[in-house]
Amino acid sequence: MAIEDDVLVVGGGLAGMTAALAAAREGADVRLLSHKDSTLRSASGLVDVLGYDSAGTLLADPFDAIADLPESHPYRQASVGESGVREGLALFDEVVGESYRGGHTDRNALVSTHGGTVKPTARYPASAAAGVASDDREVLLVGFETVTDFDAPLAADHLRAAGVPFEVEGVTVPFPGDFRADAARTRLADALDANERLEVGGNRPAVSTTLPARKALAEAVTDHLGSAERVGFPALLGQHETEAIRADLETELGAAVFEVPMGSPSLPGMRLEGKFRKACREAGVRFTTGNPVVDFEEDEESGSGVIGAVRVDRNGAAIPFHADQFVLATGGLVGKGVDSDRNGVEEPIFDCHVPHPSDRYDWFADEAFGDHPFARFGVKADDDLRPLDRGEEVEFDNLRAAGAVLGGCDFAAEKSGSGVSLATGLAAGRSAAREVTK
Amino acid sequence: MTDTEVLVVGGGSTGCGVARDLAMRGVDVTLVEKGNLTNGTTGRMHGLLHSGGRYAVSDRASAEECIEENRVLRDIAGHCVEMTGGQFVQLEGDPDEYFEEKLEGCRECGIPAEVLTGEAAREEEPYLTKDVKRAIRVPDGAIDPFRLCVANAASAQQHGARIETHAEVTDVLVDDGGTAESGRRVRGLEVRHTSGPGKREHRQPGETEEITAEHVVNATGAWAGQIGEMAGVDVEVRPSKGAMVVMNCRQVDTVVNRCRPKGDADIVVPHETTAILGTTDVEVEDPEDYPEEQWEVDLMIDELSRLVPILDEARTVRSFWGVRPLYEPPEMGTTDPTDITRDFFLLDHADRDGLADFTSIVGGKFTTYRMMAEKISDHVCDKLGVSAECRTADVPLPGSEDFSVLRDYMDEFGLRSPIGRRSVQRLGSRADDVLDTDGPNPVLCDCEAVTRAEVQDAIDQSGTDLNAVRIRTRASMGNCQGGFCCHRMAAELHPEYDEPQAREALDELFQERWKGERHALWGEQLSQAALNYALHATTMNRDRDPADREDAISFEEFDSGASASKGDESKTSETKEARHGD
Amino acid sequence: MSDAESGGDPHDARNEETVESDEFEPVQVFPESEEMDLRPGSDDCYKCSTCDSVCPVAEVDDEFPGPKFQGPEQWRLKRKDDRDIDDSVMSCSNCMRCDSSCPSDVPLSQMHNTARGQFVQEQMEKLSQEYLRNRILANYRFFAELGSKVPRLTNFLMGNVVVQSVNEKLLGITSEREFPEFADETFREWWTNRGGAKIESDEKRVAYFHGCYSNYNTPEVGKSLVRLFEYFGYEVLVPPQKCSGTPMFANGMLADARRAAETNVSEFAAAIEEGADVIASCTSCSMSLRQEYPELFDFEGTASVAAQTYEAVEYLRLHEDLAAELERAEVEDADFAYHAPCHARNQGLAGQAVEMMDLLGGASAEDVGESCSGISGTYGWKAEKYDTSMEIGAEMFDHMEDAEAETGMTECPTCAMQMEHGTGYEIRHPLEVMAEALVE
Repeated sequence: MAIEDDVLVVGGGLAGMTAALAAAREGADVRLLSHKDSTLRSASGLVDVLGYDSAGTLLADPFDAIADLPESHPYRQASVGESGVREGLALFDEVVGESYRGGHTDRNALVSTHGGTVKPTARYPASAAAGVASDDREVLLVGFETVTDFDAPLAADHLRAAGVPFEVEGVTVPFPGDFRADAARTRLADALDANERLEVGGNRPAVSTTLPARKALAEAVTDHLGSAERVGFPALLGQHETEAIRADLETELGAAVFEVPMGSPSLPGMRLEGKFRKACREAGVRFTTGNPVVDFEEDEESGSGVIGAVRVDRNGAAIPFHADQFVLATGGLVGKGVDSDRNGVEEPIFDCHVPHPSDRYDWFADEAFGDHPFARFGVKADDDLRPLDRGEEVEFDNLRAAGAVLGGCDFAAEKSGSGVSLATGLAAGRSAAREVTK
Repeated sequence: MTDTEVLVVGGGSTGCGVARDLAMRGVDVTLVEKGNLTNGTTGRMHGLLHSGGRYAVSDRASAEECIEENRVLRDIAGHCVEMTGGQFVQLEGDPDEYFEEKLEGCRECGIPAEVLTGEAAREEEPYLTKDVKRAIRVPDGAIDPFRLCVANAASAQQHGARIETHAEVTDVLVDDGGTAESGRRVRGLEVRHTSGPGKREHRQPGETEEITAEHVVNATGAWAGQIGEMAGVDVEVRPSKGAMVVMNCRQVDTVVNRCRPKGDADIVVPHETTAILGTTDVEVEDPEDYPEEQWEVDLMIDELSRLVPILDEARTVRSFWGVRPLYEPPEMGTTDPTDITRDFFLLDHADRDGLADFTSIVGGKFTTYRMMAEKISDHVCDKLGVSAECRTADVPLPGSEDFSVLRDYMDEFGLRSPIGRRSVQRLGSRADDVLDTDGPNPVLCDCEAVTRAEVQDAIDQSGTDLNAVRIRTRASMGNCQGGFCCHRMAAELHPEYDEPQAREALDELFQERWKGERHALWGEQLSQAALNYALHATTMNRDRDPADREDAISFEEFDSGASASKGDESKTSETKEARHGD
Repeated sequence: MSDAESGGDPHDARNEETVESDEFEPVQVFPESEEMDLRPGSDDCYKCSTCDSVCPVAEVDDEFPGPKFQGPEQWRLKRKDDRDIDDSVMSCSNCMRCDSSCPSDVPLSQMHNTARGQFVQEQMEKLSQEYLRNRILANYRFFAELGSKVPRLTNFLMGNVVVQSVNEKLLGITSEREFPEFADETFREWWTNRGGAKIESDEKRVAYFHGCYSNYNTPEVGKSLVRLFEYFGYEVLVPPQKCSGTPMFANGMLADARRAAETNVSEFAAAIEEGADVIASCTSCSMSLRQEYPELFDFEGTASVAAQTYEAVEYLRLHEDLAAELERAEVEDADFAYHAPCHARNQGLAGQAVEMMDLLGGASAEDVGESCSGISGTYGWKAEKYDTSMEIGAEMFDHMEDAEAETGMTECPTCAMQMEHGTGYEIRHPLEVMAEALVE
């Protein structure tokens, strides 16, 4: 009578969706439970695999360095490894199709960030492709007065200080139309999606006229173009029609147009989420969203060490979801898959062991960008990605972990967040499905 | 001829108060401060505007001064003060005698005091524990020490004073030609500017300057002993640290004190958008190098959640420590720092040490800073033969001149109503000048509702020092602790200041925010810290900023995107297959 | 207005069974003078802006700054005596998508509902057109009850161009929309006429919260529910009830909502005492009982009603082998373009109808995407919000047109209204289709 599936994935971010997709493709009936929206919407949309080694050396080839990572690193688990990372990327490439670039080479790309730096990444949105830093064409960066996370002239100066092999200038222009200063980023994207007619000419009624949004935007930029062959905008070129918007701007400007990835709320992250969701749906994954998984039931027959169901809290009622195999992909400290209080750190659903120093003053480094132990908080897993308890024994036979809930790596420092999610998501999902289909 | 008549050392409330007082009397004043204004103890207190109630049992003279100055500050610094009111709360089991003594003390010192039943106390402050027996209501308030101090400095400048921040004293210049019996006098100071004189500019080379004066005032509080040492005199300051824990939002809107004999962790002060828990009292050797300890943070939360239980669950965003500049004449020999008087001492080194033209001021408390400054200024004027009267109690500080301006700014400047309200609460009568801008005025700090115009105004005052911008505006002091706005603030420095300056200013602010946030790293704030780290390291790659590298990046070794176009599918699959075969 | 109260035939079933009619008079909101302090809710916010990224209103209307400002930021900036609420809170459509998006559990819609209540109470002119119009829209049930007494006349009047124009000019209710038709026989009339429950059972008992719309406008949905539950052997109770409060929350009419909620909680808590669980066919009604009541009110029984209320299909999935039944059944030509209402999404029900239709032989449902329909109950009825409402809905209309099916499906009556308005499709409720498949 209850709701029952073969594989139940808890968590709806990149790792969870990858796990669900991988499991569904193995032929399992898969359900994905997620509580809230995932951190994909705060992430830049770049798919990092490994940008720096443990010593902080910049890596042109991420794959070369995997074998040298510490053994605790998720990439080093037997079911993952270099081949697992490659398979994760192959799955990614298939899901996103032409909307991402970078799959043609093993090498990392250096992509401009909204902070004016460049960072190594393995896959980047097609909309950001013309902006890679190893291209020597001259760049104009365009910022908007009210989009405060991207200051184009400052970013241009910063890129120059980083020694990029191209000329770069920056300019700040008003976003066309008479939007309020606090208009949501999605509002500006929507105006470009719909190519709304916008007021141009400012507050002088005599010269005020309306133009389609994309044309108006191009007009605001064209006088500043100079000899630039590439023009970069903050990543808000539409939520749905990005390629058409870019094509229109390129035609109007006669230059390549690219997006500079931004922090939250991230349009590229939202687009990526949409692509994965669609792929999951098409593979038959069922989504049940909106309520938290708070607890679990042990399997009645097998007893302890085997999970029978998870319980979803719905305004005080506990609703069980049964399955044979479970994947934990609830995220790390940011995604709330790892929680803490003054006394300790925990994984709240299954209470899997999260190794951490007992003194909370040992959880951080004194420098803001120091070597923070908290950045590595997460469950420790065996070679099949099954979480281990304090005594290094498998917590549950039928539970695997994927993504940022796994500890052992500082994805922010080494730039590996999406790579870990893809590689471990694939490995966990596939392994779970094979348990039921074998 | 000297460079200035009076040279004041220390940009805290006392130093700025003295500079203003003297400048208003027509004295030529220069103030030097080694960090930004409020860098020392002033910027590290809980923001309580005392009614005097706290001292009504133990130290009635102080209590009387407090209530007097409390009234003065409401008049002259309205835009820095929020008259929250305060309660001395007696819990079940707290001594009745002390409560009665407190009440009687308040009445005798002229502090308006009213007894509230437990129920009435909880009606005013619904988050108070059910164990409240009764409370005394007093006119405590909250005051922003940053803006108060900045306003004093601004007023001093308007009256011709020179204010030099980031100018550290490297030597006290002592001459032998003085009038004192010993024949020794202080003729001035040597200071090292960390950037040029004037506003701070990151990456501007420092330089040393000798400033001579007719009289030097050592208003460095807990650091007074160090300045004294440079002059060859002993100033026996006994610095005592106190921990303060900042909550994300206000659990109380009035100052809540525990009504019992002195003890740690007995006060919650609503401060701007936050509540501050205080405090501890532990003597330390060095005012700049002392342990900031976990037990102090835990004590605040555990002890004060007995008074306001929600604090146990509530989010803290950071903790900070301040050092009290306690002083007592050496012969007293008090062992427990909580027993040392909070009164202030004016040390005339001519009388005391035979060193002329040099005065130190130690002890004292923030609420009575103006009164202290008046007494010091009287003393200095006496020495200089200046007869002008003190006017600081009557003339409002910049920003508090005209209260009719505290009106509806929302429509006028196109700001959403709570943003306009907060801007006006911070800027007071300066709001008109600051917010009236031509360009769009987006909010840069969402947590504290600080707009671009307000940040620009602060940069005009303080150059590239973003911590000085922060204390003027509160930008980066909300729940995200700057994760979402530090880089926006730094961007406002450009293009007036160049990119490396903006970058360095950003790094400094970001590190300063981290310093305090470290003490709140669990629960929500650890999650916040992890998000901030991800945004700045993952998304912006600021932790491995290529512009900070020694060596150049070999850009040609990376994907140039050139073959990433659709036409190059063959190569794509080739690479993949070749690798799969590995 | 009070003359209308209980003005009908004393033998009328409605008057016996429903509680006395809602009063409609100027009110003192927050009669208990208990003000809610939601500042602690800001403790959870870590500023990620995910809520802003899903807000359908902020996406099309820059007058609305988004839920993050409107919720945790605005609350956190308050001092005790700061009473003003930014007027943009009235642009929020109360779709509650921010609630289901927030990774950090900020009680966004609770903050919005409370701020809106305070704004309406303290800052909105009580004689303004906006206030009166909102009050009328919020109290749909009151007018529906009147209207359904003379359904034909009302239907004629509401369809009348002159009346529509008066509505727009005087009341600010858009003339672009057709008023929903009133059924000739309300659900409750049908229920009485059939003699109430056909099955009695001590083990399997449910109390049906039908809400206004199933009662007055689409009684077929209610009838389907009764047939379906009786098919599975349940005794169905239909306790007296008032409006769930959804339109009142959305318009900041918290006093009206409180009165309605108090009755509903006490009636349904009593049913629970008799061993029933509560079921609803309208996802906004179940949302209201489950989430908004406990967030805003504290009557005795509020928590147990919240915990024991289910959407009807969800209830059958959990307690019966609905999947097997559906797999055995067969229907013809039942392809649907399904829209998940925001409030269903918020309860974790967004994927349910598609899953169920896929099990049912001959049926299929295609999800038309995650966008909001844009009507959000009464929001899309306001003349000044009509365009925004249609802009928000545009994505859903496009996806419906793209889908192969020519019939729409949703659980929410106002979403259904919008779907029909934008595409001209007939819109079905999953209960109707299931009842046809299993019971007939």
